[in-house]
Formats: sequence, structure tokens, C-alpha cells
Amino acid sequence: MKRFTRIAVAVAAAAGIAAPAMAQEKVTVWFTKGFYKAEDDALYEVIKKYEAKNPGVKVDLSLYGTEDCNTKSVGAVDSGTPPDVGFCTTYDFRVTGKWAFEGKLEDVTDIVAPLSDKFLPTTTSTTYLYNDKAKRKAYYAMPIQRQTMHFNYWKDMLEEAGFKENQIPNTWNEFWGFWCDKVQPAYRKKTGKRIFAIGHPMGVAASDTFYSFLTFAAAHNAQIVDENGKVVLDQPKNRQAMINAVKDYASIAEKGCTPPSSVNWLDPDNNVAFHNKQTIGTHNATISIAAKWLDDAKNQSLTAEQRATADKNYKENVRTIGFPKKPDGSTMTHLVAVKTAVVFADGKNKRRGKEFLAFLMQDENLTPFVEGSLGRWYPVTKGGATRPFWTDGSDFHRAKVYGQFNEYTQPFQFVYNYKFTIVNSENVWAKAIQRVVNDKVKPEQATDEMIARIKQLAG
Amino acid sequence: MLMRASTLTARTALDSTAATGHKRFNSWQMWGALLLVPYVLVFAVFVIYPVVYGLWVARNPESYARLFQDPVFPRTVVNTLIFLLVGVNLKFLIALGLSGFFVQQKRWIQALLLLFLLPWAIPSIPTILSFRFMLNPEWGLINNTIFRLFGIDGPGWLTEPTLAFASSVLVHIWKSLPFWTLILITGRLAIPTELYEAASVDGASRWQQFRFITWPALATLYLTSTMLSMVWTLGDFNSVYLLTGGGPGDQTHVLATLGIRYLRIDQLDLAMASIVMAMPLVLPLVIFMVRRLAAGEAKLAH
Amino acid sequence: MRKYLNEARLFLIGLPVFLWTLIPIWHLTVLSFSPKDDVTAGTWLPSQFTVQNFEIIAGQKHYYLNHFWQQFGNSLFIAVVAGLLTLLIATFAAFSISRLKTRGGSVVMNFALATYLIPAAFLAVPMYKVMGQYGLLNLQWSLILAMVTLASPYAIWVLKQASDKLPYELDEAAIMDGATPLQILRLVYLPLMKPSLVAIGTYALLLAWNEYLYAFLLLSKDSDVTLAVALGHFLSADDSPWNLLMATGLVYALPPAAIYYAFRKYMVGGLTAGATKG
Repeated sequence: MKRFTRIAVAVAAAAGIAAPAMAQEKVTVWFTKGFYKAEDDALYEVIKKYEAKNPGVKVDLSLYGTEDCNTKSVGAVDSGTPPDVGFCTTYDFRVTGKWAFEGKLEDVTDIVAPLSDKFLPTTTSTTYLYNDKAKRKAYYAMPIQRQTMHFNYWKDMLEEAGFKENQIPNTWNEFWGFWCDKVQPAYRKKTGKRIFAIGHPMGVAASDTFYSFLTFAAAHNAQIVDENGKVVLDQPKNRQAMINAVKDYASIAEKGCTPPSSVNWLDPDNNVAFHNKQTIGTHNATISIAAKWLDDAKNQSLTAEQRATADKNYKENVRTIGFPKKPDGSTMTHLVAVKTAVVFADGKNKRRGKEFLAFLMQDENLTPFVEGSLGRWYPVTKGGATRPFWTDGSDFHRAKVYGQFNEYTQPFQFVYNYKFTIVNSENVWAKAIQRVVNDKVKPEQATDEMIARIKQLAG
Repeated sequence: MLMRASTLTARTALDSTAATGHKRFNSWQMWGALLLVPYVLVFAVFVIYPVVYGLWVARNPESYARLFQDPVFPRTVVNTLIFLLVGVNLKFLIALGLSGFFVQQKRWIQALLLLFLLPWAIPSIPTILSFRFMLNPEWGLINNTIFRLFGIDGPGWLTEPTLAFASSVLVHIWKSLPFWTLILITGRLAIPTELYEAASVDGASRWQQFRFITWPALATLYLTSTMLSMVWTLGDFNSVYLLTGGGPGDQTHVLATLGIRYLRIDQLDLAMASIVMAMPLVLPLVIFMVRRLAAGEAKLAH
Repeated sequence: MRKYLNEARLFLIGLPVFLWTLIPIWHLTVLSFSPKDDVTAGTWLPSQFTVQNFEIIAGQKHYYLNHFWQQFGNSLFIAVVAGLLTLLIATFAAFSISRLKTRGGSVVMNFALATYLIPAAFLAVPMYKVMGQYGLLNLQWSLILAMVTLASPYAIWVLKQASDKLPYELDEAAIMDGATPLQILRLVYLPLMKPSLVAIGTYALLLAWNEYLYAFLLLSKDSDVTLAVALGHFLSADDSPWNLLMATGLVYALPPAAIYYAFRKYMVGGLTAGATKG
């Protein structure tokens, strides 16, 4: 019935009967629904403050699930009815670069420029994008928060297998060998359970898969594009490095070190397997695995006992570490994704949209929003990253994240060539791995097929 | 509909009466047109326009070039053909056999028939997801049972591409078998029992009875049902999408799920192009069936 | 002796049929009554029989069930409205084609039949895009209208066939008495068509209740979606509440299953030829 009334109201409004109600100005905002309540609460607070500061302006907020948010936005942009402001946590992977190229986004340089001192280096460079319609580069998106790749493991399971944390090697081959060849057999022998050492995503439909794989590729120094967006993967040195990465990534599956169903995994499934203690460790881009236990520890709808377990898991049992040194012995370069908010060129109230975005970017508004994710997202501003939340060392997981972001980082390929968004969503990486694991072709052949397909899609 | 058709009264007589009616009552035509308007509107707005729009989006030959470049596409076409040929025929052979089993009027068989209808009566999502969990290679019911009984790891029901595809075919059969068995049961029940009695008096074997009485009586129904089932099997999205999601490695897609895959990876023109490419399979079947249903309604049941 | 042999042979067919049919449903039911720890245990019986899952559902005490009753209501609302609208549109059309012999009626009928036969999965993407253009996306009306579009062709066809069987003399007599077409529709046609109307209404209702693909494409907000979509959302949970998923699935499956059984005889007559389509 609510729909009927709403339609009736709309009709009445159109007919001019309800004209006074139209006086209110509206700004339409779409966000990804937070993983945790604190995130959404922080956003509501920003909106409340913005509306108080701008009487007569109403923020019409819609929160969508991660996948849906992107799909709905793409649909709305295609049909020319986008919101004014959009922030989905998969935009950067999937569409920001493409939209900028096609001229679907509003230039937000005038908001970014005054803030340039506040941003951490390398954050804004990922939103300086080429617009093929205007034939120029400009800031077409706003950096909001970041993520990178971590490794999580169960400390209690490791100890059950008879190992200590300080035995975890910090060199590449030894690190993976430790989990697959030592911990897994030892754990199985001790417990008789068919448990796997690593949750190793290989599903085509998971962003986890390309994030993890591209981290492996980065570790092997496989350069895929140059800074002008030209594909350089076919150069012999890069091709060889990619072959090594494919071989390496596939070997973990071939050794039976990851659950067989990881070839089908969707984004939550490595978390699921880990939380159910089906795997001892897993790599994951964000510390959402640990943060889930922190969230549970605070969740009043759980029993006191469950909360105590969750608290113990967060503080003691679940551990977060970075990746080991590269195979060549040098320090790991962390692959960092910058989550981007945009103002749409076809939005009905772009002016207010930009105003709202600028308002959100103020430290006192952005920081609670980013910190509401319990450490899942890392700040883009100096102010955000120097807060005790990250630096006081009281939280094991956040301290590790902070450490990683202060080492070498590198952006994704799609920052230089937006067509890599297609390469990633088609997931040529997962396909190459599955060619090796399922179809038993040589890594060389799988890599050459991968390169050929990449050149078709992005060359 | 297959049953109703048999009692269809003589149409031609009605038509001539109606024709004279038309001349007398011109306002009837006006009312007739008016009452057709709602459906015609729905049809125009939600069928014609989307189709035209889809064709417009897929108008660019370049989209098809890209579609053919995508290794997933040829694989999907082959999958769809296998799904059709194996899925439908296997289903109908089983349905034909089971209909012979279920026509027996024993009480326990009739009770079993009621249970047998469950897959058809229950919506797809919960049951297909149940299959999905059951067939999980690590912790699913099936492989756990295999492990407990034989101490070995069971097959990768959903992780081996061939096996995963076979699993979707099986789920499809599981879901739609009861309906077609029911149709064939009603077909069998329409065969006069005297024919069988006479045949057994003459000493005809079971096979001969099937060959000379059952099959001739069922053939048309069997073939028409097969065609109908083929069209619907072409559109079976759930059995593939909810079970394997097209995985592993996009190797188990069928044309019904491919459009959604392209939509998910933001390739709208390829989504439309893949649907257009399904039409050479769909349209002949549809046209054939429309003709058959519209013109030969009475033929169906005989 | 021969009789027992025959019985044994029948039993050899019956047993596999029984297992084949029931194992997935059994599994669904077992998980529904199992505690959370059982979801990855792969057992044939719950380690401990519990109805706690249903309490959680009824009390909406899980993140993925926060809107359970709302979603149940959405499913019901959408199914009922789609059923009624389909009935209305199809009755008008069938009456027009069959009784008023409207010119062009058979053309409309053939197009409707073709729409019925073309698998809905192929219309989903264009329909989804077009709903966006109409500004209906994310509104429950989009799903209702989509379901009406998919259900009415078959509805018209069945109603037309049933209506063709009504003796034309009834109309003639009414015309003699000076009845207008609308009066004939109301006073002669509708009462006689009642059984078919009930069956067709049920068909459209179930089609909409069971629909997954269109529902997940067209709706997105947690408070707007149907139960079918909500079930799909469970797969993106990272705490594997599969027992809750299966229990919710059971709750979702029971109403249509009950209706199928109640209307079984009817449906064999062809109604469910359409229901298998979805």
C-alpha cells in the first residue's frame, strides 16, 4: 500500500497540488551498505550535520549491498538517471576509470585541489583520470579509503599443529611451503581432520581472486602495463615473471593445500572457510576476517559466552600479518586499491552533490566513517592515518595494517588503463590458474593465452 | 492444457454464429478492442519495447566479434546443446519409464507418486541450494558419506567442470521430471485398458504391448512434450546459476545464464548479443510450438 | 510366488525413485532443524534436534533476517497483486478474443503464445534495462508488472480455451434480452468461468512467489525484496548461516507446496506447464 500512496503523492505533486512540498531541494546519494553498524551510523551523522548546515536540502540516501551497489549504478548511468553522488566500494575495480573515459563523471578537481596537502601521497594519483570526451585528464573521483592484501591465520590451530608463530618464515617459498608442507600435514596428523592450510581464492566471480593473484604477480615483479597504459606483459622478462606467478599460485591448489571448492569461491567464501576453521590461514584484502570477531564481540544479540569467544578470537587467536619478502628477496610491494566516490555528470543536482562530497571529506566527517569499518578500510588522509586508532599499537591487526601501508605500495593496472577493469571482471587471472589446475595445461601456455586475451581486451 | 484440448467443441460452428453476430453488433467490436487494450499495452511496453531496445543495443557487429572472441561463448553454446540433447532426452526416457510404473494402482505406488511430486511443488531456490551444499566437495553430505564409508575423498561434484555441468543437468532433471512424468501418466491413463486385456489374451509380451499399444498412443504427446520441454530447458536459469554459478572458471554456463554473466561484468552489449545469438535455437522451436498449439489443439491429446 | 517377484521388482524401481526424490529435501529439512555447528558436518541427522532456527527467523534475530516478515509480506503482496492483475487483464483479453471475436484477436493470441513459449530468462536483461528507463527499477511495481507480463499470455490462452467451450447460445439469449457486452461479461461469462479463473489466479500467484531471476534483477533494498532474493543474499554472508538459510527456505517453500498439492488435479490439466517455466 505504501507504493500506492507514494505514487498518488507523486501524481498529486506533478499536478501542482502539493507544490509547497516541492520547495525542498534534494541531493541523491548512493553508498555501499557498511559491513558494520558503526559505518552506517557515521554516515547518517554526516548527513544530519550536512542537512543542519544547509536547511532546505534533503539528502536522499540509499544503501546497497556490495555487488548490487555497482550493478544498480551501472544501470542508472546507462539509462541517464544516476544519483548525484555515488560511493560503492567496487567502483574503482569496475567502473570509475571507464566512466571517466566516457565522460560520465563530473570533474571534482576543485574539491581535490584545496585538500591536496591533506591527502597521503599516491592516493589522489589514482583518481587523476583521462576523459576521452573532453580529451584531458583531471580528478574525476574522490579517494575515500584504501585496502591492501594481508594474510590471516588461526594461532590456536597453528599451535595445535605443533608450531609457534615465530617459526613462520619471512621468505617467499619458505613461507608458502611452511603452511602447505609442514603445518597442514602436522595438523591433519594431530587431529585426524581433513583441514586445509590456506584458503586460496580461485573463483572467477570473486574480486578476492584477482586481488590475491595480482599480489602474487607483483611479488614476482611481473609488470603488466606501463604508466601510459600500454600492455607490456608480453615482454620476455614480464612474461617469464607472469609464468612464475601462475605456476606459483596454481601450485598451492595442485598440492591440495586449499579446499577444492576454492575454484568456485565467491568473495565471502574464504572468510566462511576460515571462520569455520576449514582452513588454518587465508589471504584477504582487508582485515575483515579479524574485524568480524571484533564486531561479534560487541554484538549484544549474541550470548555473553559467544561474545567472550569472539573477543578472544580477535585479541588472541586470529592473527594478521603481511606477505613475506618477494621471491627475489626484496621487500614486498603492497598492491593498494583506493576506493573512490564520484559525482555523476548526469546527476540532477550536481552542485549540491559536490558540496556534499566536499563536506564528507572534512576530517571530522570522514574519519568516523572510515574508522566505523573497524579497520577494514585504511584512511587516505594524513590526519586519518596518524590517529591513535592506527598508531597506538594497542590493536595487533591495525598495527600490522599501518605498518604495511608505510612500506612500498603500488596501484592496480586499471589506474593506467581503464580496460583492465574488464580484464579483472572477466578474471583472466583466475581462468589461467584454472587452466593449469583443472585442465592440466602448462603454465607457459596458460600465460600465453592470458596475454592474448588481455591484448584483445585492453591492448 | 494438453488435457483440456480433448474436450474442445467444434469451433467452426461457433465461428459462423459469431460472424453473423459481428454484423449485427458493431459496438461489440469496439468493446472487444477496448478489452484487449490492457494486454496489448502490457505486451507493447514490457515485451515489444524491451525486445526492440535489446536489438538496438546489440546492433553493432563489433559486439558479435567480441562475443566470438570470448572463449566462454563457444563453450556455452556447446554446453547448451548438450544440456538440451542429454537433459531433455534423458528426462523423457526416465519419465516414459516411470509413467509406466506410476500408472499401477497399488496403494504404495500412489503414495510414492505424491512424494515424487515434491520437487515440482517446491520452489527452486531452497532445493537447488540444498543440492549445492550437499555436493560441496569438502563438507557436503555426499562426500562426507563417501569418506565415512570408504575413507576416500569423493569426486569434485561442483569443482570439476564436466562433473559440475553434469550436476546441473541432474538438478534440472530432478526438478522437472515429476511434471513430465505426470503428463505421460495422464497420457497412459487415456489408453483404453481393453486394448491391454485383449493383447494379454493374445499372449503379447510386455514389450509387444508397449511397442504396439502404448507407444503409438503416446507418441504424439511424447514428441510435443519433448519440444515444449526443450524450449523451457533452454531457459532454465536456476539449475545452472544457483548450483554452479557458471563455475568453475565460467565453464558451465548455458545461454540462459550467459546474459546475466555479461550484465554482471558490465558488458551490456555482449549480454544482448548473447541473447540474440540464442534466438536461432529458440525461435524455430517457439514458432513450431505456437503453430502446433494454436492450430492443432485437438491433435495434442490424440 | 510370481506375485511376490513382481512386487519385488516394482520395489526395486520404487526405492531409487524414493531416494532420488527425497535426499535433497531431506537434507534441506535436516539442516533446518540443526544447530549451527552441523552446517559443515555433512550428516544425515541433526546432531541435536532444535527449532532454534525458526525462533531466530520469527524473531528476526540475524543480520540476514532483519527484514524477514517484511520480505514475507513483500512476497505475498507481489504475488497477490500480480495474480489479480493477471486475472483482470487475461479475462478481458480472453473474453474479447473468444466471445466478442474481436478482429485481430487471433494475432494477439499468437503473439501471446509466443511470449509464453520464449524462455523468460532471455527477456530478463532487456526487461531489466527498460525498467530502469521507465524509472520503475527498485520499485515493487516493476516486479509485479514483469510477472503480469510473463503470466498473462498463458492465462489468456487457457481462459480462451475454456471460454471457447461455453455454449454460444448463452450469449445469444443474453443479446436477445438486450444485454451489452459488459453485462454478458459480468453476468454470463464470469460466473461460468469461475473454476478456470481460480486456477489461473493461482498459477500467476505461484509464478510470482517462486520467481528468482527477475526479483533479484529488479529489486534491491533489503526492505523491498522478496523472500526468494533474501535467500540468495545468504550466500554473501561470511558466517555461513546455512542452517538459517535452509530453515528460511523451508518456510518459503511450504505455502506454494501446499497450494500445489491442493490444486494437484487441476494443475496436471496443464496449468503447471507454465509453472515449470520459471
